[in-house]
Amino acid sequence: MNYGNIFKYWRTVLVVAEMSIRSQFSDGFVLFAIVFQPMIIAILALFMLKDKGGDYAMFVVVGSGLTGLWSGLLFVSGNSINVERWTGTLESLIGAPTPFDVIVFGKNLANVFQSLLSMITSYALAAWLFGYSLSLTQPLLFFVTLLISMFAFVCFGLTIAPVFVMYRSVQQWQNAMEFPVYILCGFLFPIALLPNWTTPVSYLLPPYWAAIALHGTSTAYLHFNQIAFCWGMMLIFSVVDLIVASQLFKIMLYKARVDATLDVD
Amino acid sequence: MKTIIKNFRLFWQGTILSYRALFAWLRPVTYAASKILMPLAQMYFFVFLGTFGSGKNNASFFVIGNAIQITSVSGIFGVTMSVGGDRDAGTLPYLFGAPANRFMIFFGRAFMHVIDGTLGVVIALTWGVLLMGLDLSHTNLSALALTIVITTFSTCGLGLLMGCLSLLTANVMFVNNFVYFSLLIFSGANIEIASLPAWMQFISNIIPLTRGIASARLLAAGASLADISPLLFSELGIGLLYGLLGYFMFAWFETQAKIKGTLETV
Repeated sequence: MNYGNIFKYWRTVLVVAEMSIRSQFSDGFVLFAIVFQPMIIAILALFMLKDKGGDYAMFVVVGSGLTGLWSGLLFVSGNSINVERWTGTLESLIGAPTPFDVIVFGKNLANVFQSLLSMITSYALAAWLFGYSLSLTQPLLFFVTLLISMFAFVCFGLTIAPVFVMYRSVQQWQNAMEFPVYILCGFLFPIALLPNWTTPVSYLLPPYWAAIALHGTSTAYLHFNQIAFCWGMMLIFSVVDLIVASQLFKIMLYKARVDATLDVD
Repeated sequence: MKTIIKNFRLFWQGTILSYRALFAWLRPVTYAASKILMPLAQMYFFVFLGTFGSGKNNASFFVIGNAIQITSVSGIFGVTMSVGGDRDAGTLPYLFGAPANRFMIFFGRAFMHVIDGTLGVVIALTWGVLLMGLDLSHTNLSALALTIVITTFSTCGLGLLMGCLSLLTANVMFVNNFVYFSLLIFSGANIEIASLPAWMQFISNIIPLTRGIASARLLAAGASLADISPLLFSELGIGLLYGLLGYFMFAWFETQAKIKGTLETV
């Protein structure tokens, strides 16, 4: 991926994002993944963690919002290329002069942006239905963290989509990938509860660093150095993801043209 | 006699073919992932969340609740897609054009999923015993087996009703997922029913799974089959009620579709 393309084609990125949001809001499954499932998980967690006290409501709001972000990334961003194939528009997009990775970047941006709805609906649920008084401990740092997390999620999504296209067998494990990330990234409980051998796996997942920083700026007073470290880790992973994604896109497009399998599912 | 044999053959062929049609495109390893890994991951998530909230001593509450709830993967998704799949595959007009017994066709769609769902719960409970410290040493295992079969049957009853709804809506996956995840709240798999507000308790009492999960927990605590039989009878009755409601809706859908010419529309 030529990273300059994202800036050069910024208008395309925005138009693609707008188109994606418009089309996905009519998709019941997408709405379920980014709005209703996180709400149900929030309800469950609010009941299950109620003995932890009122402070945990904000922890649940952020945690269940993160589940929505991950589910959206896995099912919507993961299928962002496949869905074009299923609707018969993939050839046109590949053939267009706009670089294909720019289009997928725009789609992922839209998906991650709309997945933030999960956090908003969980907040509304906890505040209005459950009557919790919710406030962020470090609001400014929280919103900066949210922006960096969004970027990290978009970049992570760029690596998943071509893998799902090239390796159908991997895509078929999609359903089994949802809960392990909820667990390993400590969205709703600390990873200290997990066996020690899983900790390095958590460290390799960008959503883990997003969870640490978002929880640390919403319900705890994480020191700035620790928050900055999480930001750094997310940015490093984003760069790595972009490099990996650029190679994956090259391989994917080359294979599709050589094998003539662009529209073959 | 000839009619009975013919109907049972229809039931059996329908059950096998609809099940194969649903899963034939999957590779065995992918099927295994959905039967083995997904339930394990879901169980781990809720067991960790539950024990984080209420302590490790309560682990068995969440292990049993979530293991039994796994039956709804087959009961809700499997059965709904088997019923609704006929419309997606374009076979609904042939089905409704055939003189075959509708009752056999309809209930045949669920039969394999009762077996599949039972197997799913057994796998989940095995994970519970091997990895999550579930103690079934005081459990009447044959009563537990009966509980699993009856709970799976009743969940499939709900699935049959949902399957009919899937003939009326384009957002099948939304409805399925919503029901599946709602069962995690209302069935008592993760939350004590008594701690829910009254309106939620009312829903818990009119859905399948609730009594099945309660029975399995009682059995794990050493109860006998006689102790849980009222719960099992209620669970069975609820399953039958949902299944029959589904059947009447299926019949209504067929009549309406033929009158209005809306067989393949939503």
